[in-house]
Amino acid sequence: MVDVFNLAPAIALFPLFAFVIALFLGSRMPKGGALAGIAATGGSLVLSLWMVAELAGGNGPYQEELYTFIGGVEGEGVTLSFGLLIDPLSALMLVIVSLISFLVHVFSLGYMNDESETGLPRYYAGLGLFTFSMLAFVYSDNLLMAFMFFELVGLCSYLLIGFWFRERAPASAAKKAFLVTRFGDYFFLIGVVAIFATFGTTAFAGDESFVTAAEAVLDGEGEMNTFLGLGNQAWITVLGLLVLGGVIGKSAQFPLHTWLPDAMEGPTPVSALIHAATMVAAGVYLVARIYGFYALSPTALGIIALIGGFTAFVAATMALVKQELKQVLAYSTISQYGYMMLALGGGGYVAGVFHLTTHAVFKALLFLGAGSVIIAMHHNENMWDMGGLKSRMPVTYWTFLAGSLALAGIFPFAGFWSKDEVLYETLIHGLGDSPLLLVGFAFGLLAVVLTALYTIRMVLLTFHGDPRTDVAEDPEPVRWNVKFPLVVLGVLAVVAGALNLGTIKEVIGEENLFLHEWLDGATLSGDLGEEGALSVHHYEEVLEVHAGYGAAEFPALANGAIALVLALVGVAAAWYLYRGAEPAPHMEKLGGVRQVLVHNYYQDEYQVWLATGLTYPIARVANMFDQGVIDGLVDAVGTASVVAGERFRKIQTGVVTNYAALLALGLVLLILVFGLAGGWF
Amino acid sequence: MLIEFLLGITLASALLVFMAPDRIAGKLAALLSLLPLGTAGVMWLGFDASGNALRGGEIAFESRFEWFDLGSYALQWHVGVDGVSFPLVALTTVLTTLAIVSSWTPIDERQSQFYGLMLIVEVALLGVFVGLDFFLWFVFWEAVLIPMYFLIAIWGGPRREYAAMKFIIYTNLASLLMFVGVFLLVFGLGDSLTTLSLVDISAGIQNGQLGELAGFDPAVIEVAAFVLLFLGFAVKVPVVPFHTWLPDAHVEAPSPVSVILAGVLLKMGTYALLRFNFTMLNDVLDAGWNAEILMSIGLVSVIYGAMLALAQRDLKRIVAYSSISSMGYVIIGLTALTPHGMGGATFQMVSHGLISGLMFMGVGVFYNATHTRMVGDMSGLADRMPWTAGIFVAGAFGYMGLPLMSGFAGEVLVFIGSFNTATVDGAPIFTALAMFGIVIVAGYLLWAMQRSLFGPFELETDYEIGRAPLHDLASLAVLLGLVILLGVNPDLIYGAIQDAVQPIVQSGVAGDAASAFLGGGH
Repeated sequence: MVDVFNLAPAIALFPLFAFVIALFLGSRMPKGGALAGIAATGGSLVLSLWMVAELAGGNGPYQEELYTFIGGVEGEGVTLSFGLLIDPLSALMLVIVSLISFLVHVFSLGYMNDESETGLPRYYAGLGLFTFSMLAFVYSDNLLMAFMFFELVGLCSYLLIGFWFRERAPASAAKKAFLVTRFGDYFFLIGVVAIFATFGTTAFAGDESFVTAAEAVLDGEGEMNTFLGLGNQAWITVLGLLVLGGVIGKSAQFPLHTWLPDAMEGPTPVSALIHAATMVAAGVYLVARIYGFYALSPTALGIIALIGGFTAFVAATMALVKQELKQVLAYSTISQYGYMMLALGGGGYVAGVFHLTTHAVFKALLFLGAGSVIIAMHHNENMWDMGGLKSRMPVTYWTFLAGSLALAGIFPFAGFWSKDEVLYETLIHGLGDSPLLLVGFAFGLLAVVLTALYTIRMVLLTFHGDPRTDVAEDPEPVRWNVKFPLVVLGVLAVVAGALNLGTIKEVIGEENLFLHEWLDGATLSGDLGEEGALSVHHYEEVLEVHAGYGAAEFPALANGAIALVLALVGVAAAWYLYRGAEPAPHMEKLGGVRQVLVHNYYQDEYQVWLATGLTYPIARVANMFDQGVIDGLVDAVGTASVVAGERFRKIQTGVVTNYAALLALGLVLLILVFGLAGGWF
Repeated sequence: MLIEFLLGITLASALLVFMAPDRIAGKLAALLSLLPLGTAGVMWLGFDASGNALRGGEIAFESRFEWFDLGSYALQWHVGVDGVSFPLVALTTVLTTLAIVSSWTPIDERQSQFYGLMLIVEVALLGVFVGLDFFLWFVFWEAVLIPMYFLIAIWGGPRREYAAMKFIIYTNLASLLMFVGVFLLVFGLGDSLTTLSLVDISAGIQNGQLGELAGFDPAVIEVAAFVLLFLGFAVKVPVVPFHTWLPDAHVEAPSPVSVILAGVLLKMGTYALLRFNFTMLNDVLDAGWNAEILMSIGLVSVIYGAMLALAQRDLKRIVAYSSISSMGYVIIGLTALTPHGMGGATFQMVSHGLISGLMFMGVGVFYNATHTRMVGDMSGLADRMPWTAGIFVAGAFGYMGLPLMSGFAGEVLVFIGSFNTATVDGAPIFTALAMFGIVIVAGYLLWAMQRSLFGPFELETDYEIGRAPLHDLASLAVLLGLVILLGVNPDLIYGAIQDAVQPIVQSGVAGDAASAFLGGGH
């Protein structure tokens, strides 16, 4: 029998082929290369599911070195290599990425092809490369490889956000997205280099991995190089925080979140892909991937939790006042990734991955639903021009509603279960030995109300009431290729919570928390290195021993009830404010506060100022200094020898032989010098 | 004798092109330039060097015989290549052919002379990389300048005479310093030295045969020679603050000449630094703050060069200043004196040659069509020249160090090599600061592309802007292909490079740092 794990590299390679085909042959193919992409991502999805089945059957985890990137020196030295690691976490993520990408490809038939967009081969090539980069990132078995594909993911989002490059805004947004995330990646790269210098390897798993090595050092069973005079614990924290820079950039956490709302300039299916499964997800996934490393440092965990909780809350406030459908969703993405960071920082590894999973489903659904609305509205995205779409596009409405209730955290939709678990994990560890986490928890609770409020506001403004424009009165119909992905995701948004019904674990029993069991990988036959180094129980152990994360007792049901009540408060508020045939723009009553929120706390302004108001003028001054002082000195020296210059100028009109003579003269001088020195004469 | 054949065939091609009528000179030159390119290919296949040209071990295609006596010194014809020089030889042949092809469109007067001179430059450049006797090497070193001077002064832009003059005087003065520096060593070695072979000079210094000179201690002589040599080569690299000839030369030179200038000529400087300063005289780094000073020079070049690039509006100036920035990484890698530092620096030389060549060629193709290089003068070019723009964007990302392109491999190796070198105090801080260059480079290249390539098409011109000629696109595509090939498979040349730099670092303190690092995986 074929070992299916040998097929694993193809999961990422399929979309790479689709990229090449679409780029070079797309213009000669029907649908501009879409079919190659659909076939490729479909293939990736099937293979990913096969991996999951294989793991579920008790085989694996599986690690294989694929390709030595830089071998360097025989027998010794750092080797930089590509390898793949298929474990429960990466297999789950592979399924998510390939599923979302597949549905996005199908949806694009409706959003791009049916709308007669030009440049389709470039579009599908971009999607293919994007999917390839993300899948390769997900199954990376070392941090350097992860960094490389992390950066390629950034490139692809640049290409796709700037897809409509003939307009100014997308080109500008693309630049911003790459630049802001590059700033984060700068720290990440330092982290990668520093981890090489510290441990001599960047492997994720196995006895030789840097994660295991770091743990061993802190257990007093090994040693490592540290720098800058820092102790082991402090240096590990520094390393974790450096890598975190990349995470904050890609996962759009405060203060590097500013690129994400601008990224809405890209085609909507691309937004779905970026937000649900690729670019933004990459950051949080990375934290989960090296969770065993972060669990060693309570400082790093605390910072992750606080950044996450703060981001969740702040982004939610900004979403309240947005008028454009996609803008609301953009800020909701920032906010939801904040929850995932809160979970991971709060000791909730399973909760973070769970929310990553459910969010992928309902956010892709919401973006594709928004895309459907945008088609119907002839690319007008302002919610105040909509209204009444409920009866005119029922499939979009009902699926969008399912996604919205999931986002708002309403029982029994997927988002309720995962968000509740995020809060629960933070709470019990906060009540335990890490009271600082309670601050993050409080932010998270506040954000629950706001999330429900802006989500339901969005639904009511878009779909309910009377149509406020002629287009909304008579929207353009959408075809199967739009509805099919919506229905698939709509169903998942309702049922995905069943993966991990943590809120009622006291009722159903811990052993029926499927995701927890899955990530724990207790049934797997092989393990990488130390017993179950990538498993949940190991992480919990490390959290307790090294980060001092003790869990307090708190009834899960009670926490769930609190979260649900708060969400319902938000829903009720939204219903009260925006119900009826002609809702009023209540947020304008906020006055000055609204202005601050509309301007996103002036985060953009100061970052733009850093670039154009500070760095650029410094560059100009440097340039003036260079031209005036440094080059001025050079020219002054040149003028001093003006006679020589004049003579040169005269010969210059001469013939080539003169210059040959010049060269010969130089040689003669050279020989003379040696001759004199050597006593030749 | 393959090297002699390489030099001879290139020289013969040059002479043939000089005599050819203008009408066919361009095509003929391109065709003939395939001969050195092919020869380099044959050398590639037969390349079997495993050592360092100056530090011993096997080198490839070596030939060495007495040429004539000069005073008490026997001058030798000594050529050969190792893992450091051969990639640069191959780079030279590739870039020359592509630069010649990309000259077909813009060069329309005195063509046989232009193409002849391009091939003469190639001979001289190849000579620099293969020459192992100082006399021979110095002849080639100086011989590069004269055809280059003409290429800028005759076929250049409005201020070509100023730029060409500045270039030649500046670099000639530098050569003088370098010459004095070598002399200090030669005289310091005294009677123990009977040839001017670089191998013998290097061995003499290693064996501690450097004696007193004019009452100065050998250690002082060594430092003085290091400084003089460094100044001499720093102009060529160029290192801040000796860089101001470069933007002027680039802006005035025709784009294909810029390709050679940035792609290969600058590498003469870094190559010579590696051979002289960091192979013969690397003991100097152990003393005092010398290594930290060199590291600072590299760091300033990276950051200051990038900041200057940020302030430019002329696409060529942007690429020119960013070359200064990229060469700063080479200085940092060399100063680290670790296997990956030096290897990465060498890799970066080749990589930067390809990428900067690609960028200058791309700018040239745009200029051929639009007759402007000013970022503010045009917008939306990608609409009219999609493939050129596409390759240019890819090249720009290569410049930004995007993974799977050669720039990333070079830079990341330099960073890995320099992060924990024992040669430099505070190496992690230096490295981390220098890495910020990767953010600034993204800033100015993305900005320039956004303004000139994207947005609605706008350009005030009487010219019809259409797609670029196929031969220009093909040249760009070949370079991009090589950038990606080396990015995906750096070991194609990195193995050979490591063979050549290992003997350098396996001595002295640097060697200890290297072994401490190599064994670092507890």
